[in-house]
Amino acid sequence: MYRKIALAIAFSPRMEALILEVQNLVNLFQSELILIHVGVKTDELETKLDDILTRLGVDKTKTKVLWKEKGKPSKKIVEACKEENVDLLVSGALKEEGFLKYYLGSVGRKIIRKAPCSVLTLIDPKKETTKFSKVVINGTQLEITPDVIRHGVEFSKAVSSKNVSILNEIKLYGLLMGTASEDTEGEVSETRKKLVQDEIAYVEENLKGLDLGGLKIHIKVTGGRWATELARFCEKIEADLLIVGDDRSLTFLDRLFPHDLEDLLSTLPCNLLIYKK
Amino acid sequence: METLNHKEVINLLLQLAAMLIMARIFAEIARKLKQPAVVGEIIAGIIMGPTILGYLAPDFQMGLFHSHEMTNIALDGVVQISVVLLLFIAGIEVELHVVWSQGKNALKIALTSMALPIIAGFVVAYAFPEFLGVNINDRAVASTFFGLAISITALAVVARVLMDLNLFKTKTGLLIIASAMVVDVVGWIIFSVILSLSENGSEGLGVWPTIGLTLLFTVFMLTLGKGLINRVLPWTNKQLAWPGGLLSLSLAICFLAASFTEFIGIHAIFGAFIIGVAIGDSEHATEKAKEILHQFINNIFAPIFFVSIGLKVNFIEAFDPGVVGVVVIVGFLTKFFGAYLGGIMAGVKRNKAMVVGFGMSTRGSMDIILGLIALENGMVSESLFIGIVILALISSIMAGPLMGWAEKLKI
Repeated sequence: MYRKIALAIAFSPRMEALILEVQNLVNLFQSELILIHVGVKTDELETKLDDILTRLGVDKTKTKVLWKEKGKPSKKIVEACKEENVDLLVSGALKEEGFLKYYLGSVGRKIIRKAPCSVLTLIDPKKETTKFSKVVINGTQLEITPDVIRHGVEFSKAVSSKNVSILNEIKLYGLLMGTASEDTEGEVSETRKKLVQDEIAYVEENLKGLDLGGLKIHIKVTGGRWATELARFCEKIEADLLIVGDDRSLTFLDRLFPHDLEDLLSTLPCNLLIYKK
Repeated sequence: METLNHKEVINLLLQLAAMLIMARIFAEIARKLKQPAVVGEIIAGIIMGPTILGYLAPDFQMGLFHSHEMTNIALDGVVQISVVLLLFIAGIEVELHVVWSQGKNALKIALTSMALPIIAGFVVAYAFPEFLGVNINDRAVASTFFGLAISITALAVVARVLMDLNLFKTKTGLLIIASAMVVDVVGWIIFSVILSLSENGSEGLGVWPTIGLTLLFTVFMLTLGKGLINRVLPWTNKQLAWPGGLLSLSLAICFLAASFTEFIGIHAIFGAFIIGVAIGDSEHATEKAKEILHQFINNIFAPIFFVSIGLKVNFIEAFDPGVVGVVVIVGFLTKFFGAYLGGIMAGVKRNKAMVVGFGMSTRGSMDIILGLIALENGMVSESLFIGIVILALISSIMAGPLMGWAEKLKI
């Protein structure tokens, strides 16, 4: 599924936890590990990294370290991902001082916007590694959704998730039901029922033919903005991972007039896997 | 404080009851014929007004609608509130994240579908002001107003048609919805600028301060104002009665914004629209709350407004087939081809681009309000206003069948 998994390292206090998290994924997916460091390469740093990798038991034969000396970190990391044809880039979120709230720094956001591959953001990387027991997949009707569902199912199987929910949202529910109020009571409730059934059918259609490998999948339907609803749902069930798709690169304008994905990046309700084709 | 006397109160209540009953009867007939309710409501007004009832039973019509001056002032207040609320709900319908998700394509369709009718409408009205009934003293502004009125898409009407045709959730359906939302926003911003340029519009602060304040208000409401709403709404939802708290406070904010824009010299409805956009786009304005707002405004205040149109104008006396013909032909063709062209530019297949064209041609809401404001400000004649209303009726009636036909075309 992921031939190459990359991690950007900065010798921060959480670096070891992040390396162990990625190492776990590398083992699960039988991948090659790419470590990217943006900054001057010194003998001291090289030795330090080598020691850490040895101590953490990282298989160095399947690990490549890239030293990117000059340039903006986000640009260099994206560049390295392109050069190496990375399939998954892992990054860590920042924690708000004193609160159990996580956010993405400007570098993190830029990487997500520009990365040519899928990006997994871990809000709280742990040395004992994160368990992705409860996974939520975005099932809202978008062009990329069939791929997101397929990818989400594959990922959930690989990490042995116990509970997978696919959340689908009825677009513009208020407008639809508002215009439906021209009908009789029976017709209105029929419309309401149909809107829900259509969304369930859409997810079922996309699950057809996929090998679920014993996964327990729940389909949930909601109304409202999908990013907000996904964030609420993840918080409610205390999800470990949210999987969404992105098929376009985001720009500065997306921050000024945030769209759904950008909303999620500022909320960050749990670990977030952004699937890109 | 002066109050209505016993007879005036009875008269006002009878007026409202008659308007709502007739609107309901004709909306039901329209529904049976698979037409939007607005078509029935406009026809109900024409029947109750000077056109039919005033002709068949002039004394009765006079007694009901013209016997007490104070009642008419009170009714006008109710109609004004109805228009403000209609614009508020039109704003709530605009969801910027839906527009954003459709990206440049929605923008292309919206802008081409507006540009063509605005230019054509302006040229025709400017070239033949006397024939069309455009105010010759305020020719440029009035001509632009006419162009703008025929360039609007009725979002609620097209949403209903798309739902009936099972096209709402398709790529084409969402593209039409997003484009119609852009048309609404751009249309009302142009409207506010034109109104401040008109002779009657900028009574208060002068043209440039009015335009400046309007743009400042719009940008503020869609950025900082929206942020503020995003902070207040979660508190409202948690701490106050639901949906009572949300409904009364959002309407209060709507009236505040409306009074502000009225104060700066543009119409109250602009403020209501922009505040509607800001509230509707908030992630904390739940879909259930929007549904309630829709139901209560669309079924009580919208009928009062649409019926009131027929009470104001005699559709037979002021009917001019030449003017109506020009308005309908120019309005329909330019809007269709503008949107069709936008669809092609957005890379939509030809038959889908035709669906977009017919979808964007639906009217029957904001265009009529624009026409009415132009009529009340002396910018257009009754004949031209009738043309705008008939264009709305024809395009709303034809939208469903034409979109269904285009959808099946194999081109």
